[in-house]
Amino acid sequence: MDLENEKIGPAYNAPDSYFKESESRLLQRLGIDINSPEASAPKIEGVKPAEVLMKVDTSGVQKRARKQDPLTSKSVGVDKDVDSFGKVEIAPLTFTTNENPEWVNFSAISEETTGLGESLNITKVTYGDLLNPLTESAESESIEAEIVKVETIEPAPIVTETSEFVAVDVVSTIIEHENAIEEVLLEEVVSETEVSEPQEEFAIESIVEEESTSTESIIIHEVPESVGLDELESYISPINAQKAPIVEEVIVEEEPPTINLEAPPTAFAPIAGRQKESATPGWLGIAASLAAIVAAYFIWNAIQPPKVEEAMATELQQDEPTLIESPLDEPNSPKDTIPDGLQLVEPLILGEMPKYKEPNVYSIIDAKEMPPRTKRALQDLEDNGLVTFDMEDEMFEELDFESL
Amino acid sequence: MSVNTANAKNMSETQRLQNLSEDELSVELVSSGVTASLFVEISRRYQQQIYYHCRNLLLSHDDADDAAQNTFIKVWQNANQFKGDSRLRTWVYRIATNESINLIRKRKPTIDFDEAQPEMADMITEDLYLSGDDIALKLQKALCYLPFKQKLVFTLRYFEDLSYEEIALLTSTSEGALKASYHHAVKKLEIYLSVLR
Repeated sequence: MDLENEKIGPAYNAPDSYFKESESRLLQRLGIDINSPEASAPKIEGVKPAEVLMKVDTSGVQKRARKQDPLTSKSVGVDKDVDSFGKVEIAPLTFTTNENPEWVNFSAISEETTGLGESLNITKVTYGDLLNPLTESAESESIEAEIVKVETIEPAPIVTETSEFVAVDVVSTIIEHENAIEEVLLEEVVSETEVSEPQEEFAIESIVEEESTSTESIIIHEVPESVGLDELESYISPINAQKAPIVEEVIVEEEPPTINLEAPPTAFAPIAGRQKESATPGWLGIAASLAAIVAAYFIWNAIQPPKVEEAMATELQQDEPTLIESPLDEPNSPKDTIPDGLQLVEPLILGEMPKYKEPNVYSIIDAKEMPPRTKRALQDLEDNGLVTFDMEDEMFEELDFESL
Repeated sequence: MSVNTANAKNMSETQRLQNLSEDELSVELVSSGVTASLFVEISRRYQQQIYYHCRNLLLSHDDADDAAQNTFIKVWQNANQFKGDSRLRTWVYRIATNESINLIRKRKPTIDFDEAQPEMADMITEDLYLSGDDIALKLQKALCYLPFKQKLVFTLRYFEDLSYEEIALLTSTSEGALKASYHHAVKKLEIYLSVLR
């Protein structure tokens, strides 16, 4: 291929939009406004020190010591350029009192002071309540808070708690209780003994209905299924309306797991207990491992590349002993290639032939070690087309555009 | 009213600069210094050439874009240092070449400019604004097998059509050395292209 005759175009072809965008980016970087033709190249000016607001007396202050870089273990000196920049100027500190009412921390003021909670009727529901609405503690707390709220309104509230309470959030529970309180105000008061009377079928709904008619506030705790009707009364605790609400909690104690305090049968009993004994006899494992080794051997031989026949032939040749063809009694001198009749003339011919001399060719010329006069002479020869030097002669100097 | 007058003045100034030849532009730059309109004219005139020159040396679009941008920033900052001893195009090309060399050294500090960088050939097929010409791409890949100096001389001569005199001024090398280097580069490229085919 002839590159000089067959012109090959460039491999890159950027669109005009790129160049326009590049030009606008360039002008933006330089801050050049095309509409202001009088703009000239910016002069680099030194950084002017700011106006001194307050001088700091640095007398007696110890200068920075050389600090050790933990990574390179080299000491890094003080940056003289930074230090010699000028005096340290610190603006005077001013202190202002908290006179701006917008700075008041509203979160520090209780709702009783602000009264926002009551006026807006906002029910506080925390994120934890939304996540764990079913925990008994959360229920008891919400009920307790409800009791307090109800006590301020009505001296004889009724608070109920259902055992089938599954997935109802706290807010709906509060609304349910408020409805129950309204019903109490309208209905007739029923004594507590009626509530606690044994019935054949214990249903939570019926208890709720009966409780809504009682005069005293009671709390029915969650009743386990194993509790009989005779013990059911103990789960219902009356609440004195005048006293602070107390929520009784009945903790259903489960039987603790029995711990065998006896010594283990062997020293490695915990480990032995976790491991299952293998039903496979030991000799079977040994046989399996041997079979695996044999199989691996055959597989290894199978995947080996076949030896080339030539390589095998050379190996065979190398193994053969070297044969001495010439007999030992004959002289081992090299044969004379000159014909018999011309052997006497040979030294004369060799003597007449000119000795071989290498041409005076210098392939590498080091321009750095060359004297300037020689360099100038070579330059003249090159400029006149008498000699050509390659670029690998270190005459290619470093580019420096300021020299132009 | 005054705004319209200023705009009209700018338009006439822009048109006047567009009609100037390269030598007249150099004289304008030396005599009256650089102005915004003069710089815009210089950047518009050499923007594409400088980008393609940097792209041929750096191969990557992003690097070429950075080098071209830095080139014109230095033109703007050092315009007062232009004495007019060389052509304006040569001066801008020299700055671009320096920027490209600096960028190569920044990317690969241990680079040897006397050695070829064939691993850079992989960058060509995965970048923006390729022409799609197969033989042109092969020539670009073959250029990666040249030492940087030969690649530079070949690129300036073959793609940018700079004369040996300009290249000699740009690279501070004699014209004879440049001709020999270009000749070696062409022969090597022809061999590489025959192999790559």
